[in-house]
Amino acid sequence: MEVASRKIKKPYLKMSTHEAIWGYVFLMPWILGMIFFVGGPIIASLVLAFCKWDLITPPQFVGMDNFIKIMSDPKFWKSLYNTFYYTIFAVPIGIVGSIIVALLMNQKWKSVRLLRTIYYLPSVTAGVASAIIWMWLFNPDFGLINYFLGKLGIKGPLWLASEEWSKPALIIMSLWGVGGNMIIYLAGLQGIPRQLYEAAEIDGANIFQKFWNITLPMLSPVIFFNLIMSIVWSFQIFTQVYVMTQGQGGPADSTLVLVLYIYQKAFKFHQMGYASALAWILFIIILIATMLQFKFSKWVYYEGELKK
Amino acid sequence: MDYTSKNAGFWASKKRQERIISLILFIIAWAGACIFVVPLVWMITTSLKTPTEIFTIPPKWIPISHIKLDYETKLIAKASGRVIISKGEEGSKIIDIIKDGKVASSVVVPAVGTLLVKDKQLIKSGDVAAELPETGIVKIINNADGTTILRIVSKADLTIQEYNLPKGIRLKVKEGQKVKVGQHLATILPQWRNYLEAWAPKALNETFNTYLLNTIIITVSAIIGVVLSSTFVAYGFARFRFPLRDPLFLLMISTMMIPVQVTMIPTFILFKYLGWIDTFAPLIVPTFFGGGAFNIFLIRQFFMTIPYELDDAAKIDGCNYFQILYIILLPLVKPALITVAIFGFVYNWNDFLNPLIYLNSSSKYTLALGLQTFTTMYGSYYHLMMAASTIVLLPVLIVFFVGQRYFIEGVATSGLKG
Repeated sequence: MEVASRKIKKPYLKMSTHEAIWGYVFLMPWILGMIFFVGGPIIASLVLAFCKWDLITPPQFVGMDNFIKIMSDPKFWKSLYNTFYYTIFAVPIGIVGSIIVALLMNQKWKSVRLLRTIYYLPSVTAGVASAIIWMWLFNPDFGLINYFLGKLGIKGPLWLASEEWSKPALIIMSLWGVGGNMIIYLAGLQGIPRQLYEAAEIDGANIFQKFWNITLPMLSPVIFFNLIMSIVWSFQIFTQVYVMTQGQGGPADSTLVLVLYIYQKAFKFHQMGYASALAWILFIIILIATMLQFKFSKWVYYEGELKK
Repeated sequence: MDYTSKNAGFWASKKRQERIISLILFIIAWAGACIFVVPLVWMITTSLKTPTEIFTIPPKWIPISHIKLDYETKLIAKASGRVIISKGEEGSKIIDIIKDGKVASSVVVPAVGTLLVKDKQLIKSGDVAAELPETGIVKIINNADGTTILRIVSKADLTIQEYNLPKGIRLKVKEGQKVKVGQHLATILPQWRNYLEAWAPKALNETFNTYLLNTIIITVSAIIGVVLSSTFVAYGFARFRFPLRDPLFLLMISTMMIPVQVTMIPTFILFKYLGWIDTFAPLIVPTFFGGGAFNIFLIRQFFMTIPYELDDAAKIDGCNYFQILYIILLPLVKPALITVAIFGFVYNWNDFLNPLIYLNSSSKYTLALGLQTFTTMYGSYYHLMMAASTIVLLPVLIVFFVGQRYFIEGVATSGLKG
């Protein structure tokens, strides 16, 4: 009887309480984690955003004070600008780049496994070490990048030491990590049924028509997911900037990104309330960005069978 | 077969068209791969150089330098005019060439050189003003710190040329040997000692022993936490039916979009009240509470592919839920567990923000934090910074090469289709 009842989906009301209890038992670590490390802190952080607290004296409710101050804080606007600047360039370039690499890695060459390894490698080395490697590559006088630019007859900029070029440097560096997304697109590409291409070939479609009319629409749900996550992640850029600027966000605040500013306010100046308000602004921006993407997601093509 | 291309031109042959496009793509793919690998190759190359080898233009790709006896034997006048000879330091002579009452050019002739001009003589631009001997005798001086001075002297024991060589060289000449201009004197070998120096930096209180040990403790504990708890939770989501299961699952997926910065500050305060600041607990304990939405999702996807009949058969045999999980299901989702463990390893090994917030004393630092501190002290010692970076990255690279199929298959099988 047990076996039979498994196969037929039982309505919720008839669910065995025994099974439900055990389900919750196994979910318990996550539920507790959700309460203590996600939900609780989110609410606490919202409360803190309306308080003034230096961790020494008791917190003080100050109403909208933090938000009012933030609105006239030039450093906040600068960090917001820097974060948007980085996101607006790094995300689209990264997505186009990783799709191109995924298309290349979907070919049937003997060396394709080795190539995938090479392209994926930098995304596991992300962190302090790779930031240091790029500091060296971006060295204005002896760095490889300016050396090669010099060979092309271009006088390389000062990169991380220049107000104008420090953000482009971060964007270029982010491209090194396209391998992580490449793997996701590759999985998506390999899930596209061959028959679609074969049918198109019979109709006489060329490579570009096949890409535009089959590959791109079939890949669009993956692109959509990836776009959302890439924006979430790029709003959180921190480690590279911290390492490359010794936690300063220089020169002249040109790399002071929002998360770095939150970090400075919270853990250097111990303005916990102000920092929480900043964190909530970041959260709301990410929420709005995500919702906008859902609203304008008509371009995403869902094949019938993928819809549940 | 061939008449199509003859009649309809080169591009009409579909096969040939595809083959040419494939070749072009192949070249592009490899060119890109070369660019991608450059930063890591450059890291290793730089880590094996001497400080002087770092700052050379053009850059050296192989960290080996050949020292050749190299100097101008003929000192040539760079201007025309009248010669005035005066005495310089250490027995050297200075030839000034005077033109229109001003010094137009000046040549310093070391004591070992022979003057070919006389005082007040007229000289033309391009004339040889002095000569240095073309051969010399090798003198090797070993310094107490292990470095070597290689001095090439004339018969009269005057120095022709001197080289300060670092440790880690291979001498190609012997003491007292006669050498000619252009002769190979020594080879500077890859400086493996940079790694020793980076491992125990003189300017820092701690060595990488400490950082490595701390990182291993944290990473291993975190991996255990992540694998254990995400397996439990995934099992709950995949194999049980209970009220609110699907909304909870959706909630879990959407937490991936919450930036850590929102929870960071209250979590910090919580750990501060628990007295856990400057301990490993804030980095380890949370991993036992869920293990991350992505990991739960990945393992659940694996569980979903296993037929329920297996569970039911085990249940009839008297297994409880834990036994079903351990005996029946876990062996079948092993690849997913390895994937989660490897991702957990990479994430925790590279993590910077959390250790930065929670660890204060340098004896508690992880590799990432230690490396960052290292760069603040050794900002222009790129050879040492690259050696330290290589030390930090090496375990990640090894894990990656050993377990690379889990990285790639892990993402592929999780079916991130939404």
